[in-house]
Amino acid sequence: MLPVASLLILVPLIFAAVTFFTKTKDQAAGLAFLGSLATLGLTLDAYLNFDSSTAAMQFFESIEWIPSLGANYSVGIDGISMPLILLNAIVIPFLILYSWKEEREAPNRFYGLILTMQAAVIGVFVALDFMVFYIFWELTLIPLFFMVNIWGGEKRVHASYKFFIYTHVASLIMLLGIFGLFYASWQQTGVPTFDIRELVAQFQFLGSGLLRNAIFLSIIFGFLAKLPTFPFHSWLPDAYTEAPTAGSVLFILLKIGGYGLFRISLPMLPNTGNPKLMIMLLGFLGAFSILYGSLVALRQKDLKRMIAYSSLSHMGYVLLGSAGLVTLSVSGAMFQQFSHGLIMSILFMSAGVIQSSTGTRIINNLGGLAKKMPRLTVIMMIGFMASLGLPGLTGFIAEFLVLAFSYVNLPGFVLLALLAIVITAGYYLWAMQRAMFGVYNEKLGDVRDINSLQVFSMGVIALLVLYFGLNPNPVLNMMITSSEAIVSLAAALGV
Amino acid sequence: MENLMLLAPEIAVVATGLIILLMGVFMSPRTKNVLGYLATLGVLAALVLTVQSFGTEATMFSGTVSIDALSQFFKLVFLAVTLIVSVASIKYNENSDHTEEFYTLVLFATLGMMFVASANDFILLFCAFELASFATYALAGFEKQNPKSLEGAMKYFLIGAVSSALMLFGISFVYGATGTTSISTIAENASLLAENPIGLVAVVLLIAGFGFKMALVPFHMWAPDAYQGSPSVVSSLLAAGSKKMGFVAAFRVFVVALAALQPDWQFTFAILAVVTMTFGNVIAVSQTSVKRMLAYSSLAQAGYIAMAFVVMTPMALTGGIFYTLAHAFMKGGAFIAAAAVVWMITTQRTGDLEVPDHLDNFRGLGKRMPLTALCMTIFVFALAGIPPTAGFMAKFVLFSSAIQAGMTWLAVIAILNSALSLFYYARLVRYMYFLSPEGKKIGLPFPYAAALLLSAAGVLAMGLWPEPFLQWAMEAAKVLI
Repeated sequence: MLPVASLLILVPLIFAAVTFFTKTKDQAAGLAFLGSLATLGLTLDAYLNFDSSTAAMQFFESIEWIPSLGANYSVGIDGISMPLILLNAIVIPFLILYSWKEEREAPNRFYGLILTMQAAVIGVFVALDFMVFYIFWELTLIPLFFMVNIWGGEKRVHASYKFFIYTHVASLIMLLGIFGLFYASWQQTGVPTFDIRELVAQFQFLGSGLLRNAIFLSIIFGFLAKLPTFPFHSWLPDAYTEAPTAGSVLFILLKIGGYGLFRISLPMLPNTGNPKLMIMLLGFLGAFSILYGSLVALRQKDLKRMIAYSSLSHMGYVLLGSAGLVTLSVSGAMFQQFSHGLIMSILFMSAGVIQSSTGTRIINNLGGLAKKMPRLTVIMMIGFMASLGLPGLTGFIAEFLVLAFSYVNLPGFVLLALLAIVITAGYYLWAMQRAMFGVYNEKLGDVRDINSLQVFSMGVIALLVLYFGLNPNPVLNMMITSSEAIVSLAAALGV
Repeated sequence: MENLMLLAPEIAVVATGLIILLMGVFMSPRTKNVLGYLATLGVLAALVLTVQSFGTEATMFSGTVSIDALSQFFKLVFLAVTLIVSVASIKYNENSDHTEEFYTLVLFATLGMMFVASANDFILLFCAFELASFATYALAGFEKQNPKSLEGAMKYFLIGAVSSALMLFGISFVYGATGTTSISTIAENASLLAENPIGLVAVVLLIAGFGFKMALVPFHMWAPDAYQGSPSVVSSLLAAGSKKMGFVAAFRVFVVALAALQPDWQFTFAILAVVTMTFGNVIAVSQTSVKRMLAYSSLAQAGYIAMAFVVMTPMALTGGIFYTLAHAFMKGGAFIAAAAVVWMITTQRTGDLEVPDHLDNFRGLGKRMPLTALCMTIFVFALAGIPPTAGFMAKFVLFSSAIQAGMTWLAVIAILNSALSLFYYARLVRYMYFLSPEGKKIGLPFPYAAALLLSAAGVLAMGLWPEPFLQWAMEAAKVLI
């Protein structure tokens, strides 16, 4: 059988390396597209051979790497990682198609970085060893940094450094937590290991409650800053807004913070010194991010910045659902990651098109674009509606699951989050009305609609949003299986 | 009769040095290029002999020389640096009339370092230290027409001489209290030092003496000038090689001989390590000369390695020892890359000739010298501790050991420093790849290319497959504890 998990890292990485040496834009984009198609093929192969009925690790591979530290190269895929790999593999080829016609400097580096990013993110998803996990985790920083720093907007230098330093420091704090976990477990068992599942299982036996709290908090800090959540989000609006469209989409596909939450933090949570307190903390941060993000989004003048804050608000659901600690709320949180990735890709692509064809993203300077850009308007409308939670689209299912089932344990926070739903609907509809409908703003001059490649790439993603909104089972089933395993652990401990 | 074969690597080095010195007398500048290849071969032979002798344990010459895992590991470090430096110097010394002096000095300096690694006696330690120091003083001022080179060498020499005196003074106190200069005998009679205030005086003087070699703040004043002024290949030897001499000596002297005074020097090293890494990183941020920036970054790295003395667990010592080898490749390589750029600027006569290693001269290096830029990127990312490089593994082991020992504060400071350092390393990468070049593409001479590839291979090998190196470092750490 194919070593799918390793190939999913290697294939994009090799294509990225070759892409860096191409000369023309068509070569670069073509090769990158080929690489992303190969990755998509592998992912579909893995998906079709995937058994949704078990929470066990599948496609597992392990090679001894640094025996004296107990670090192995071990990778595998389960119900937590499969949907996220799928999300990445689906969106990247369309992202490349979408940006094919854009003019830019050094296209070989641009497309090379996109593939490097894909390899790094998939690497995080499949890694089952903290050493491997951390290496890929850090590797995701480099393409994004350069993406913003080179091809970004006016304040790109500021935004790229802010993003880099902010999340790098957070990762280092996470690394401290990993060290603590590693040594405490070494002391406990006498055998060094970096195996994620082993260490997470060992966690309950370690030292005092205080030590466990410290380890848990420092590891989760890395995840929360990446997610991001209030109050560690201040890099997000700058980075998302200043990044080129492809960069913003890559940020959206960077679901490693939420992934870490499910893979590492949630199984650890019941064994911390004060599980109740931790749950309240996470629930509060989640609910508050939802509300805060939507309020700030309402206030934005810049379309892209509005979408960025709306993204912050939506990631709050991931945290709230996780803190809910009921099978379906956790599944909802996982589904929110998947759904959010698809929806936000459409929205950032739309904002990118509006910027390039009208030269502005200020909502009040737009107006009546629907007349000139009917095709964009349809697709963007689907994105907006999905994002505000219209039934029949993916956003609804995710938010419904999170809100309905978190209510079991965290009713107060759910009520807080419910407030935000109205606001979310408000800012989306208001923005849509001002930018797309009404009288056409003649100052914009002659505006052209999106080209057929863009229609195709954005359209397919929009169709997927509709498809998974009507029939979420293909990904939701495996999420439920995995969430059950996480939650049963917590239930057994009476949390 | 002593088994001289145990010293085969040293013999290979000294023989090569003498042969080169002799041959140089009879050769014309044009044919002297051969000497560089000869030196490389000699060092390579010594390197192979050292690796072969791993696992041997012996003491020689009435216990003054000790061959053990620690000494062999550090000989590997020194020889690896010398190998890289000799390869790169083939180009640097092209058509020079002083090739034989250059290589002889490099080889003798290496010999001194190798004996420091093996020294189990204060007198031998001091003599070996001086052998290496005198050779490097001369090398630092090798460009006699270049005032900066002379300034650096002068500063290096003056401060070096004072610190040697301090070290000798410290040794005399130890001798006075214990009546011996043998490191193992001192360790056995540690109570004599621990119960005597003289012990404290000795510790202070020895820290000052070794601190100079290790370039710990506040004994670092010479380092930026010497590293910047010296020919880049020599800077590489100084930063990557001769600096490690201070560390191996300090490992033997403090951890083994003065173990009884551990609370005293441990505390001192804690302050020195924190101050050194912070100072080095903060000052490096504002440098516009790349060599000077590398010099300050070298201070910071010394601060990290000094953490091993603070944490003092087997894991920490393993990390510190592993770090010295990693640093040898990263820093050695980075200075060679700077040498290649300086060579390009001076031969092309474009850009900032006043300061040939100015940051502006690195603009668009990715287009002008792709290989140099790529290797430099690997080195600076390694110095910043980005995976999967040697620097990451080294920091991983060393910093994590601080957590293991419960010194979270130290690990936090080190990690924050590491994050700060990324700022100036990333800036260099930005200059090389994302600013447009000021000049045309230039073919890289073979010696520079070979040296760069060697170092890059070392950096990547230690990052991707650290197991054998970690094993060696663990063996070396066992000698100490």
